[in-house]
Amino acid sequence: MPIFRDCALIILRRNVVQGRPIVSRCSSIACRKLSTSYGAKSTFSESSVFNSFLVSRNRRANFLLTRSFSSETAEKVNCNIGTIGHVDHGKTTLTAAITKVLAKDGLADFIPYDEIDRAPEEKARGITINACHVGFSTKARRYAHTDCPGHADYIKNMISGTSQMDGAILVVAANDGQMPQTREHLLLAKQVGVEKIVVYVNKADLVDNDVLELVDIEIRELLTDFGFDGAASPVIYGSALQALQGAETEYGEPSIRKLLEIIDEYIPTPTRDFTSPFLVPIDNAFTVPGRGTVVVGTIKRGVVNRNDEAELLGFGESIKTTVSDIQIFKKSQPKAVAGDNIGCLLRGVRIGSVQRGMLLCAAGSEEVSNHFEASMYLLARNEGGRSKPLTSKYIQQLFSRTWNISARVDLGQDRSMLMPGEHAPVYLTLLRKMVMSPGQSFTIRENGSTVATGVITKRLKSLNLPANKLSKVVLQQ
Amino acid sequence: MFFKHAIKRLSMARMPYSTDVKSALAALRKKTGYTFANCKKALEMHNNDLAKAEQWLNQQAQTMGWAKATKLEGRATAQGLVGVLVRENIGAMVEINCETDFVARNDNFKNFVSHATKVCAQYTEMTDFDGDLWKLGFESEALRNLKLDDGKTLGDHLALLIGTVGENATVRRAICFKTNNELSLFGYTHPSKDSTIPQPNEVRFGRYGAIVAFRSAETNLDLQKNLVQHIIGMDPNKVGEKGKDEPVENKDDEKCLIHQEYLLDPSATVGEILQENQLEVVDFQRFECGEPSKNEAFAAEKLVN
Repeated sequence: MPIFRDCALIILRRNVVQGRPIVSRCSSIACRKLSTSYGAKSTFSESSVFNSFLVSRNRRANFLLTRSFSSETAEKVNCNIGTIGHVDHGKTTLTAAITKVLAKDGLADFIPYDEIDRAPEEKARGITINACHVGFSTKARRYAHTDCPGHADYIKNMISGTSQMDGAILVVAANDGQMPQTREHLLLAKQVGVEKIVVYVNKADLVDNDVLELVDIEIRELLTDFGFDGAASPVIYGSALQALQGAETEYGEPSIRKLLEIIDEYIPTPTRDFTSPFLVPIDNAFTVPGRGTVVVGTIKRGVVNRNDEAELLGFGESIKTTVSDIQIFKKSQPKAVAGDNIGCLLRGVRIGSVQRGMLLCAAGSEEVSNHFEASMYLLARNEGGRSKPLTSKYIQQLFSRTWNISARVDLGQDRSMLMPGEHAPVYLTLLRKMVMSPGQSFTIRENGSTVATGVITKRLKSLNLPANKLSKVVLQQ
Repeated sequence: MFFKHAIKRLSMARMPYSTDVKSALAALRKKTGYTFANCKKALEMHNNDLAKAEQWLNQQAQTMGWAKATKLEGRATAQGLVGVLVRENIGAMVEINCETDFVARNDNFKNFVSHATKVCAQYTEMTDFDGDLWKLGFESEALRNLKLDDGKTLGDHLALLIGTVGENATVRRAICFKTNNELSLFGYTHPSKDSTIPQPNEVRFGRYGAIVAFRSAETNLDLQKNLVQHIIGMDPNKVGEKGKDEPVENKDDEKCLIHQEYLLDPSATVGEILQENQLEVVDFQRFECGEPSKNEAFAAEKLVN
């Protein structure tokens, strides 16, 4: 049993370290589960409590953990990419060709063209998204590849937080060159936060080298126009169709292998941020008799050192404290880095003032606010959302991470109404001050069902709430 | 074919010549925006004479557009834009569809929608009628046959658009309004570029659009805008008459305009707002991009029953 248990924890930890959003979310839930089941045991002696706070005493929980993470044990790191481009320039053929070439090496399952094309609508957080997700691996990394037909689908994909794209493949047919709407494709890439773009010039076999060169010059110019590194962006010539047919010519399979090699190289794996001031969203808190209050959470960014000055923020509270001890997997440590699931012993903090959903951060590094800018999607009626449009001064309960609070939604000045099924930038005002950072997702529920979901894009200066009423807030836009 | 080979041989034999060809090709592509394949063909046919090649391309654009349109015909067009234009006593609203919302956001597409809306408004201007309100709906076929100032039809221009963006596009439907006497028209779209009142003769685009005919002693443009926005948002199916149409039990299912809760102030009904401001909604038309038209909805209903 002990071996089994450690095994689960190691797997768990690795996932936390490498964790992409989904994985890390699962892990933190799992950790929370562990620590919660532990926290109930209040009669433990001081040392045993603190030393083993991550070890579940629940055999079944361990078993489930091992099972649920066994598929995630691959050594390779994950990378999210997507294809963008004109409908007829061969996005789908390219995706099919990639899976076919990699299937030969046993790194992917071949997915034929029409299966990708007919991908059913999927549901993420209750939102229907038209997207096709294909998974494959190279020797270096594991890839989750997304292909959506429309602008709105990519935005929904971003808002629902299913996969943030680390990079994109822009597909351009050599005989056409870029299309007028290629501008819109690049705008979208910017909007969803893609920084690196690899260009695949498809149908290269149909034109001669002069044209290829011109396509190259033109696309680099356009990339630069939209703020990408046009000069450094790799451009690969090939024919997805030839590759799909198994041709070993220059534009056939070798072009796909070259594309994958370059993606491995050019699109970076998102790394943990070890340099910024530390941030620990709190999953759980308990008292160790004789020592004080311990908070548990996964370090989102930065490095926590013992005796660091820290602040506990959230729900209108702001408590100054010091990290007197850090523990990772039963052992006391002088420091812990981003990705570690830790327990922090805090000096002079009463358990009553700590709540799940608060945040521990380096003193003075974060600010609480009740006012944020966000990108929000209003669920369509057939997704279980509202039938009526939404106008400003909409007040409902907002849910994020482990907490919920009354919040008011206001639309930007250029929009006086948001229809179900539409997305827009919005302003959020919370009843109490919370820490919310860019990229944090939230949902809004009305009458027991989710009606909107979104991500924070910017923290704004706190607003004054007259008489503590959200309806009385005056927005300065 | 022989010619093409000849050029290839030439360009391989003499490097400077090849650079000329390339820069000509780049220049032509940049200037016209036609596909590389077509630009190259044009240059080959006219011995690298830029002016002639461009002229030829412009002449060919129509044929190539039609060829592309025929090829792409039948591909589903569920995205697009609604264009709305109101000037003085006339109003026009047109729905144009395309395959992806990327194209719908592109300027080429917006220009076409703007053009088509203006054509419909122009057509309405030429019509004389008696009475207060004249309304005419167009189906796709009739729209495509509308003649433009340049002698081409709207269908020709649509084919040019298809040739440019390489995606199927359709002129779905249009509706024209013309009023006399005290009636005034107001048009609005959603999502609009901003929430201001449209300028006269300004074409607005959106996924939703509506034109409303008001009868009022004085004009309150802000209120009219908010009411048109209400119609876009709440999708009523008729104006309704006081006394004749009764409010339904579930307020969320109310489809009669005067009994609906006013979007910007749910404590009042639209009927109350109208009465308070001495305003009357005579008629309205709402378009939602990609929605089944009334005829199609009727046909679908028939099929189910």
